[in-house]
Amino acid sequence: MGRTALITGASRGLGAALARFLAGQDFDLVLTARGAGNLDAFARGIRNGGHRVVAVAGDVADDGHRRRLVAAAETLGGLDLLVNNASELGPSPLVSLSELPLPAFERLLAVNLLAPLGLVQAALPLLSARQGLIVNVSSDAAVGGYPGWGGYGASKAALDLLSTTLASELKERGVGVVAVDPGDMRTAMHQLAFPGEDISNRPLPEVTMPFWAWLLGQARNDVTGRRYRAQDATWEIAQ
Amino acid sequence: MKPLDQSLLAGPKLRSAATPPEARGLERDEVRLLVSTGDRHEHAVFHELEHFLPAGTLLVVNTSATLPASLPASGRFGSFILNLSSRYGEQLWLCEPRLSAAHPGPLPLTAGETFEVAGMSARFVAPYPGLPRLWFVAFDGSVEIAMADEGEPIRYGYVEPPLPPLSAYQTIFAERPGSAEMPSAARPFSRRVLEELAWRNIAIASIELHTGVSSLETTDGGGEPVLYPEPFIVPAATAAAVNSARRDRRPVIAVGTTVVRALESAWDGHQVNAASGFTRLFVEPKRGVHTIDGLITGFHDPNATHLAMLHAIAGEGRAAEAYDEAMRNEYLWHEFGDSHLILPRIG
Repeated sequence: MGRTALITGASRGLGAALARFLAGQDFDLVLTARGAGNLDAFARGIRNGGHRVVAVAGDVADDGHRRRLVAAAETLGGLDLLVNNASELGPSPLVSLSELPLPAFERLLAVNLLAPLGLVQAALPLLSARQGLIVNVSSDAAVGGYPGWGGYGASKAALDLLSTTLASELKERGVGVVAVDPGDMRTAMHQLAFPGEDISNRPLPEVTMPFWAWLLGQARNDVTGRRYRAQDATWEIAQ
Repeated sequence: MKPLDQSLLAGPKLRSAATPPEARGLERDEVRLLVSTGDRHEHAVFHELEHFLPAGTLLVVNTSATLPASLPASGRFGSFILNLSSRYGEQLWLCEPRLSAAHPGPLPLTAGETFEVAGMSARFVAPYPGLPRLWFVAFDGSVEIAMADEGEPIRYGYVEPPLPPLSAYQTIFAERPGSAEMPSAARPFSRRVLEELAWRNIAIASIELHTGVSSLETTDGGGEPVLYPEPFIVPAATAAAVNSARRDRRPVIAVGTTVVRALESAWDGHQVNAASGFTRLFVEPKRGVHTIDGLITGFHDPNATHLAMLHAIAGEGRAAEAYDEAMRNEYLWHEFGDSHLILPRIG
């Protein structure tokens, strides 16, 4: 039986690198991103390698879109891995909390916090059936208190708490939940955080693939509830 | 840290052990032992080890056993060998494809291409980021069965026929198979050495770290070298033994750099904890070592990560002196070669 992964924010950056890496391991993929052009071109590239890919463009903050994603996974036979990777940064250049427009913060929470939970809720029957794994992509901004990163960081800090709580709640159903801070990477989002700056000294998202390879090889119970930093020297499992 | 110590490369030519000591008429524990204490170097034989270890010493060893990790393979460009490095999952390993034992290649590989290995189909998934000689490989069948049927221990060009069997690549401490290459620092340990150590109340604790293929990285451009992670376990009993030795100021001696990496990975800034996972911790002088006082190791190619660890333990100057001393005295290099005990300075 093939394995299936659903990745949000999959047309570029970390999401795209992970999609390519999983396709290479024969995962079937459901991919989503907001821009249909980029997503379709990317999905076509992977499909040409002989892999099953369903690409559904749309906004993860939209409940109907989330349902379509889960339905797409169902057509592929089920779901083993959900990667909540799609995130928004908020205003670029970054602004301090004292100036962060509340509607911008609401949008951050809708995409970075509510959408992942919505997808978990919608995909749970499929994930339970396969004893699947949920990965919520976090950030060091969730713990850093960095100036300008307050809105984004708060959304990720709250997402971290959702991850640990879900891990406890879903343990009985055999579903694992981990939070992953991929670390600084050379991505479009990182460039948005540092507009006009040279970020070429940051590694490409591929640098985190060994971590993903490791994570997917672990027993659910050994990793669930933990928060990993993909670029750390050591990744530990439960004792 | 300097990328490579050029004086080591430019110095007298190092001598490789091309065969195990048993094939040279020696017992395992009859290889030579260079004992470096600060700036003093003594020449001994390994089975005299007990005389150099202070009373109360705790030795920490690696119980990982060596796999027959070298498999015959064939692909688009003909036959090659696939050396398994680290297991990531039932069907995913990090591997080093090589033209032959002596020739690393490079092979003209592309992601997604399929090949045959030991009778099953496999696929190159992606190169390891920053280490393009290593590839993630997805297998269609059982890697364990392939190793049992057709695997050989990983051997390099300096090993001469008759090729040593897998048993030559196991240490006396070997328990669970998982290493691509023998954790060779413990190779000279014998039954009689263990008896002598027990007689002198020198305790032995263990970790498990499954080694990958040997590192050939350099720190190009002054950055940190790219290390790939290896599976490790520090059991609670070992953590307790190390912590208690340190509290009592008894020396902790690591048998092999794998032990140093495992213990340092389990160090939280105050003590060693039970730990399990993957580690690629870079032990270098700036970070320092916190868990061990000395090291038993072999003599290896002066690659960046190995040297950095020696520098962290012995100091850069002292480590270079010891290597000079070993080369002047024609010590033998590599996994079947001679041994080096680095002790803390007394006082």
